[in-house]
Amino acid sequence: MPTGVRRDLLRRWERNPIITVRDVPYRCNTVFNGTPVKLNGEYLMILRVEGQQGYSFFALARSRDGVHWAVELSPCMLPASEEPWKTWEEHGIEDPRLTVLDGKYYILYTAVCAYGYRIALATTEDFTTYERVALISDPGNKDGVLFPEKIDGLYARLDRPFGKGIGRIWISYSPDLVNWGRSKLVLSPRPRYWDSFRLGASAPPIRTEDGWLEIYHGVKMTAAGPVYRIGTVMLDPEDPSRVIGRCVAPALSPREDYERIGDVGNVVFACGAIVEPDGEVKVYYGAADTSICVATCQLDELVDSCLHG
Amino acid sequence: MERAGPDIIHRSPDNPVVGLHSLDFPSSDICNAGVVKFRGEYLLLITVEALEGPSSIYLAHGTDGVHFTVDQNPFMSPSDDPHFRDGESLGPRDPRVTPIDGTYYIAYLADGDYGFRLALARTDDFLKVTRLDFVAEPDTKNGALFPTKIDGRYALLERPQEGTSIWITYSDDLAYWGSSTVVMTPRAGFWDSDRVGAAAPPMDIDTGWLLIYYGVKLTSAGPLFRLGAAILDKTDPSKVVARSNVPILSPREKYERIGDVGNLVFSCGALLEEERGEILLYYGGSDSCICLGTATVDDVVQACLASSREF
Repeated sequence: MPTGVRRDLLRRWERNPIITVRDVPYRCNTVFNGTPVKLNGEYLMILRVEGQQGYSFFALARSRDGVHWAVELSPCMLPASEEPWKTWEEHGIEDPRLTVLDGKYYILYTAVCAYGYRIALATTEDFTTYERVALISDPGNKDGVLFPEKIDGLYARLDRPFGKGIGRIWISYSPDLVNWGRSKLVLSPRPRYWDSFRLGASAPPIRTEDGWLEIYHGVKMTAAGPVYRIGTVMLDPEDPSRVIGRCVAPALSPREDYERIGDVGNVVFACGAIVEPDGEVKVYYGAADTSICVATCQLDELVDSCLHG
Repeated sequence: MERAGPDIIHRSPDNPVVGLHSLDFPSSDICNAGVVKFRGEYLLLITVEALEGPSSIYLAHGTDGVHFTVDQNPFMSPSDDPHFRDGESLGPRDPRVTPIDGTYYIAYLADGDYGFRLALARTDDFLKVTRLDFVAEPDTKNGALFPTKIDGRYALLERPQEGTSIWITYSDDLAYWGSSTVVMTPRAGFWDSDRVGAAAPPMDIDTGWLLIYYGVKLTSAGPLFRLGAAILDKTDPSKVVARSNVPILSPREKYERIGDVGNLVFSCGALLEEERGEILLYYGGSDSCICLGTATVDDVVQACLASSREF
């Protein structure tokens, strides 16, 4: 890594990418957008794999150190073959986000069908069997991330409906994880900024002393297409629909070859992060919709980027 | 009313029954009225667009269903309440009234800073109205509540993601919604080939739920809005039992052809006059006036059931 000015707040692991198609033990097109969890010292990650047919599904990978990964021999979750799920997952399942809440593992993911994108919810207890719970949004919605705690007695999620053609981050609440309401706007694109075109939640919110840290993705549209970057925003600990601080600069921008070149170039897109006991945050991100990478920094640096950006 | 003309719905000779001339104040335009029979009176809830642009909802009162007097003051105007302000800054519009257990619920379109959302309000007397909450994320339109619970749950038709299809969503409490599924999609080559949405709230008839919906065909000169009918299954209204091949009303008269949005008939409400077996359909013409059309329930049902016919 060159010395001098630190270009990005997040430092890339020197041997990125950490997972590519070569690490998947069956033929596939790409692997990207993985969501991690650390369990009893072991790292697990649910990966989005795009098959050569063109639609996506999920695979599980395991690691002892968070950087060297082994992908399981067969996929862990395929688009449903039976109703009532089949219709809604006909074009694949994408972008899983894993949240641990009250000791249970919840996976919000994007179900893709002829009618568009919907947010779906599945759970697992053992990362062997996965149970679908419900489709939890109307079509036209994606990037759902579940808060790891209830807010005022209700489950809460960030999501990204389209309004007037602009993707913004909203929050919705639920008493039972199945029925959702009280939706409210949280964060909008900023004109002139790197996140001027659209944005959405990326990692499930992280509880910090200052509030809920949300690692989000922001998009700028250029003449050559979109540029996806990673940013940070701090939400009020009691009322996470309130923004109490937002980064000025992105925490990570596509710069390396593996972020610039791929099926969808100029994309860094996180689906989760792990906070280590020593305060190091490992942000796992898909690069160019083609591989999975990791970048790190201290939690207080990310918090600082929101509050004193 | 004499049966005549090319449409299953017969136009009232008094059309349009409410126009800009009916208002005691200047406004840009009027359209899309919900309707309810309340204490023997016919009440229209009319979308009125102010000269400045935002919409409000005004009540119009009538005793015969044909002649109406419009109130001077709005029944619902853009809310000052911080909870609703941004979400309906351009106004509440397209109200659809559904009585449930003696309370009147109004599913309306909240046109706000971040797109279209559906919201619910309730009233017991049409004097005081209480907003409940938004019931959809943007961009969702054409919300119509069923007049009874379905399998113990409230049910709402809607058109999410400013999309092309009618969906249904359910709720225990009118606040949190789920189990959404698609009900009806456009038909390639038909008059409703571009998009469909609920028009009047579903009506309870013997054969199921009678849904009057609107369908759009895109032409090189712009969209053509027509009204059609379908019957939804009584116990599972996400299932379409029958759907008319032909529209029940198409823009033909001048007041349907010419206006702010020409070539448009669009409805937010109809009344089922059970003793007469008749439907009173209130519809907007060209986003510029309110009209009345009538048909027998039988004629509309037959149009749905004959849907296998090729013409």
